Amino acid sequence: MSKLPFDDEPPPAPKAAPAPVRTVPMVPKGLVPGASTPVAQARYEFSPKLAAGNPAGEGLTPLPTLPVAPVRQVLTVSELSATIRDALETKFQNVWVEGEISNARLWNTGHLYFTLKDSASQIKGVIFRGALRYLKFKPEDGLRVVARGKISVYDVKGEYQLICEHMEPQGFGPLQVAFEQLKKKLMAEGLFEMARKRPLPALPRRIGLVTSIDGAALRDMVRVLRRRYPNAHLVISPTRVQGEGAAGEVARALKRVARVSHVDVIIVARGGGSLEDLWAFNEEVVARAIAASPVPVISGVGHETDVTIADFVADLRAATPSAAAELVVRRKDEFFAHIDRICERLDAAMGNRLRRFESRLHALEARTGYAGFPGRLAFRGRHVSELASGLRHGVGQSIARRLRRHDLLRRSLDQFDPRHRLGAIRTRLVARDGQLAAAARRRFTAFHGRFGGLAARLGGLSPLAVLGRGYAVTWDAAHTRIIRDASTLRVGDNINVTLERGSLDATITRTHGPND
Amino acid sequence: MDPTIKDFEAAIAELEIIVRKLEEGDLALEKSLELYERGVQLSRFCHSRLEEAEKRIEIVNERGELKPAPAALRLPDGDDEP
Repeated sequence: MSKLPFDDEPPPAPKAAPAPVRTVPMVPKGLVPGASTPVAQARYEFSPKLAAGNPAGEGLTPLPTLPVAPVRQVLTVSELSATIRDALETKFQNVWVEGEISNARLWNTGHLYFTLKDSASQIKGVIFRGALRYLKFKPEDGLRVVARGKISVYDVKGEYQLICEHMEPQGFGPLQVAFEQLKKKLMAEGLFEMARKRPLPALPRRIGLVTSIDGAALRDMVRVLRRRYPNAHLVISPTRVQGEGAAGEVARALKRVARVSHVDVIIVARGGGSLEDLWAFNEEVVARAIAASPVPVISGVGHETDVTIADFVADLRAATPSAAAELVVRRKDEFFAHIDRICERLDAAMGNRLRRFESRLHALEARTGYAGFPGRLAFRGRHVSELASGLRHGVGQSIARRLRRHDLLRRSLDQFDPRHRLGAIRTRLVARDGQLAAAARRRFTAFHGRFGGLAARLGGLSPLAVLGRGYAVTWDAAHTRIIRDASTLRVGDNINVTLERGSLDATITRTHGPND
Repeated sequence: MDPTIKDFEAAIAELEIIVRKLEEGDLALEKSLELYERGVQLSRFCHSRLEEAEKRIEIVNERGELKPAPAALRLPDGDDEP
């Protein structure tokens, strides 16, 4: 269609006055289209002037028994059309009509063209841009509506249509319909999908609140948050939440607070109200702003039973503003309890590790001297096994070489000597004790107790506890080196022997080799 | 702040992994100790994060600036604890 009726404006009324009526002996054939179409019926009915010679209207069909008029009255098409227009537009200046919308098409001029139909008939219609703007919902195919408007004739095409000035969905309020329409649209875009929902931060650094500065919602949320998490840092982004333009304001307030650094989560909230009161949260601009938010958004709008489009788009829906505040952060003491539970497991696991290692150590120490080597070697794993096999293969080689190798092995083994390692462990545990003690001084008694207990338990696992079972550690006089080999000492050297309780300074009176 | 710890969530997650590894228990002693120390470090981080959040209520204005909230909001309904 190159040019549409009313594409820009309603067509100008054509030359207004109906053409002078000439005498017509017969009704023009052109006026008798397929009699079954509604158009034809309409034309019958509303062409009173043409039917003038036949008051009953039957004369419009070319019946053979037609009374013969003395003079022909011939109209031009335009004249006839103007007459029809005049008749229709006069009679149907303000009609209400009910039907289902089909073929709805919005032109880039902003006017919406559609067909209104029922089971038997249809009529074309248009809503001009100006009227369309006032409809909350979007007239779309399949929707049952009641439309108010006037009938207009488009002479160029010989068509008439309904110029619709107002329209209401049938059976639902316009807001309900608008709600369903936006819901459907955004759902089709995938905006409600679970995969889009982001997890909330466990511990938000700052919490953004988008709501009215003097609403009950804000007071409720602040109260809940301060009870649960007293040192929470809140950033309020004030906005109107109802009335003309509120939706745009909510969207802007949301964008604004999302830009504040360290705001990790945002609550969009409003207290209870009517559907109209909550309407801003059903508007597309708010839904889009929530979807585009760089941080997760919780919606808390209205009461439990109110569901808004914002709820569908939000990463998490809370039933009320207070509920949103409950969801945004765990109670502070719950956090501590959680961490304490993990720490408890950490300590228990480490304790088990240490105990196992200790029993291995004891197994080792039950062996003495060179006889213990194969056992140690096996114990020390593959790396040392290689050294051990080297040793076995070395049998038969020169004694010097064996000794050298033995020495090498010894040094290698020393590296793996569990006592060395326990020494290191002990140093670290002592350091740990100190750190733990420092930690214990922190102001949380619960945690304090936890780590205090840990420190005590770690002490119990320290290698020093071995001394309690009768072992002794022999140090050089400077107490810097543990003596492992009698041959490193000479008669007269001073040593220190650490026992479970106290220590001894002693002097060497005699040394014995491992094979003595 | 420890640069090896991203945030609270990361710390908790890592802590839980460490505990699981230690509980499975097939690690060398050195490794176990290393993990344990890391675990203690992480738990301390978590505790300090729980404490450090500022007790503050602010308002972001049209220009994106932060201003302190009115006192009435900071002490809602007067039932705020001291």
